[in-house]
Amino acid sequence: MTNVDVDARRLGQDERHDTLAARNTRLAIGEMLAVRVRRFDAEAGGAALQDFQVPYRKWMRVLDALNWIAENAATDLAYRWFCGSKMCGTCAVRMNGREVLACWEAVEPSMTIEPLRNLPVIRDLLVDRSPFDRKLAELEPWLERPTPYPGFPEPLSHKDIKNASKALDCIACLACYSACPVIGLGNLTDFAGPAPLVQLGQTALDPRNDAAKVARSLERTGIFNCVSCYKCEEVCPASIPIVTRVIEPLKAKAASLRPATATHSRALRAIVAARGRVDPGALVLRVQGLRALVNLPRVLRLFMRGKIDPIKTFLKRKTPAAGAAERLLGRGDSP
Amino acid sequence: MKFAYYPGCSARSTCAELNEATHRVAAKLGLELNQLDSATCTGARELRAIDPVGFYTLNVRILALAERAGLPLMTICNTCTLNVLDAHAAFVEDEDLADSINARLAEEGLRYSGRTRISHFLWVLYENIGIERLRSLVVRPLNGLTVAAFYGCHITRPPQRYGFVDSRNNVALEKLAEVLGCRPIDYSGRTECCGFHTAAHDERVAIKLTGQHIKSARANGAATMVTPCPLCHTVLDSFQKEIERDIGENLDMPVLHLPQLVGLALGLTSEELRLDRHMVKTQAIASLIGA
Repeated sequence: MTNVDVDARRLGQDERHDTLAARNTRLAIGEMLAVRVRRFDAEAGGAALQDFQVPYRKWMRVLDALNWIAENAATDLAYRWFCGSKMCGTCAVRMNGREVLACWEAVEPSMTIEPLRNLPVIRDLLVDRSPFDRKLAELEPWLERPTPYPGFPEPLSHKDIKNASKALDCIACLACYSACPVIGLGNLTDFAGPAPLVQLGQTALDPRNDAAKVARSLERTGIFNCVSCYKCEEVCPASIPIVTRVIEPLKAKAASLRPATATHSRALRAIVAARGRVDPGALVLRVQGLRALVNLPRVLRLFMRGKIDPIKTFLKRKTPAAGAAERLLGRGDSP
Repeated sequence: MKFAYYPGCSARSTCAELNEATHRVAAKLGLELNQLDSATCTGARELRAIDPVGFYTLNVRILALAERAGLPLMTICNTCTLNVLDAHAAFVEDEDLADSINARLAEEGLRYSGRTRISHFLWVLYENIGIERLRSLVVRPLNGLTVAAFYGCHITRPPQRYGFVDSRNNVALEKLAEVLGCRPIDYSGRTECCGFHTAAHDERVAIKLTGQHIKSARANGAATMVTPCPLCHTVLDSFQKEIERDIGENLDMPVLHLPQLVGLALGLTSEELRLDRHMVKTQAIASLIGA
């Protein structure tokens, strides 16, 4: 069937050095790296980019380049690091527009190093983590047991704890918080962001936790405003599948404990169960109710172009897939 | 070359032009499409979050329908593609899950054994048609057309599915655009999110995010955008009036579905490719390339 020897899913990985092996071949010892660092000092006024030439040495990390600069070229450079071994989560920066741990990322021949986004900059590469700390404290990320401790060993299987266990790999470096496009929109929504949700998931996805407490926490997360873009997963240095193993399981908990927060998800499920496929008009009407009228001009434009079909929507027309959907999902909107 | 073809919900409602264009282009390319009419929705992002078992069952059923026909599966929507890929992976990894899904599917005489190959139309062009053959089929090179490729998320992330360290390194759409004679442009929105998946309850996120992407495409000289995903298309095209109102400037950025761009180069007319069904007028493209 396949007549060409190419994996179209990965085009660009070789030619754009998207693998560690490819990246390691790009530099020779002693070569000069062009490093550009975003400097910021509120008292001195404003931000500026400063260029440095840094000699490459074998296995050089972004952190080594920063250390070289601080020792040889800019002794006042402000940046944070502690363990140097992907544990403490303090050294995350943006390198060429991508969030990385300085201590765990290979240098590139030409690098622009900037502070994380979505957090106030204190100086140079130092960001103020307190907005994250405050959000997290609001979510009460701890375990409360509604029943007495049953004694050791606890009756938990690896399946019961598998999602919480993934979330426990989090080192709170805030790379995901910086990469999240919804957080990037500021206070437009009440979305808590990936890092607070992963921290919450460590206990909220633990079956021993008190469901009522978990429900109260989830109500404050705005979790259904996650756009599922996987930017958080892409930058996570701990390789946590943030969307699939944390945010989606938390959404499932929210939908069962506080159904009113999951109107959109439940409406889609009910429409698919009844008709087999999504009717976009029906979805919007069910989710927005009368609010949908605000968009009447667009509704008319869509209708004029044949993009929506009110007859199908209002007659609740079934598709040839309706029988299978109804049988497999059941009637109504509860899973 | 024959495929079990899964158009998804969007290409049969708001983006029906995509389904029509895909059938036209497939005929030109010699692809025979066996459309899976009894296949359900893959559950978008909503079902997979709140009802994982239902999600896996619907998706494995789609894979089983293709397997019964003995055909690879072709998709034309990013989110559907990732959904079936994820369901296939879960099915293969979790024997208990696989058995319980097959028990449900047995009620209608279906069974999945994990053999269906899943391919988005974009990948079919590379892997089944082949870039050299595609080049030879181009009868109207789209010379002079500057194109901003908009990947969307689910065809290039998550990393454990596609293997990118940095999803911005994906070049599949740009390489393809070059084969068709276009000049792809670089801009900041290429692999960013359109915000579609929360738009049914709050479209402000989609409008704000996508506004930045279209502005960047325009500033970098794009005459059109092209996307392999009908959900991205809905925000880029159907929401563009609201986006213009939000940023207070005119964008007038036509947005093509990937099969439409290919179809234009293969000599199909804008009527055949149903460019008339778009919200943003596409006449500028047609006159640029003489279609």
